[in-house]
Amino acid sequence: MAAATGAGPGGSGALPALQAALAAEDAAIFGYGVAGAHLAGVSQAAAEQDWTGHNRARDALAAMISRLGAVPAAAQAFYQLPFAVYDAASARALAAYLEDGVTRAYLGVVAVSDPGLREFGALAMQGSAGRAAYWRGSTQAFPGLPASALLPAGPASRS
Amino acid sequence: MLLASATTLPLLLAAAGCRSSEAFAGPDPLAGPPRPSPDVITLEAVIAAESNLIHLYKTAISGDSRATAPLLTQHELHLAQLQARLTGVRGVRGGGEPPGARRVPGGRPPGPAQLRAAERVSAADLVRQLAGVEPALAQLFASIAACHATHVAALGG
Repeated sequence: MAAATGAGPGGSGALPALQAALAAEDAAIFGYGVAGAHLAGVSQAAAEQDWTGHNRARDALAAMISRLGAVPAAAQAFYQLPFAVYDAASARALAAYLEDGVTRAYLGVVAVSDPGLREFGALAMQGSAGRAAYWRGSTQAFPGLPASALLPAGPASRS
Repeated sequence: MLLASATTLPLLLAAAGCRSSEAFAGPDPLAGPPRPSPDVITLEAVIAAESNLIHLYKTAISGDSRATAPLLTQHELHLAQLQARLTGVRGVRGGGEPPGARRVPGGRPPGPAQLRAAERVSAADLVRQLAGVEPALAQLFASIAACHATHVAALGG
């Protein structure tokens, strides 16, 4: 699986990949607003910190897209939540869900041909995967990768 | 009937006045095995690094193996995916301690701090490899690097 095709400024598929990352950041900003309302104390502070981080990432992506000569896609006024959020547990689950979406979006940036953008996408994935692990309470073996991208594998050689 | 062995074939070709490369439409069988592609070379280096990490985890003494066991399992999943991409390209080395396995000075098994440091180094190394590989492999490396980064926090970093 390799996301993002088509040549253009910034390398093959750069603009669509950056726009997709921007859309994921916008969704995360909206979602953290919902999640934060159901959290308190340390968790609420973490949600606020993450909300701020996503705003900064949104601004950075919008600037990158503008530098490539395109118009950054506008955020939606409303986002359909994937499930009902009514308490701290569902709020934490939403935060993990949002971060997974952001990680998947930056995975598309890693597939573009520009080496600098690949590195940018990979480092952004580390941030969102780390936040997802915090909210989920566990790590994942392949953050962002769809199951279809994994090959049937025998047991690894034991070292 | 004349039978040509691997030894006599070059002599026969020379006697016939043609080079071995002209006698076959396909790859020259006398030129040795084909060079591995850059992706394969990178993949082999990443596999060696992942094997090292697994070795490090297995030799680590941790006060809480419940914390490190899931991380080790994830590294083994990484190794299996990486090796699956080499299957059919080259034989995959079997078990045993990986060559050049990291050893802790003084012979003491690594603790959480060493594991965190190794995870950080591995994540950074994977990101450095992204520029030279095809997109799907870059995505696998980036995903594994992201996992390694989450391990740093899981180990108390």
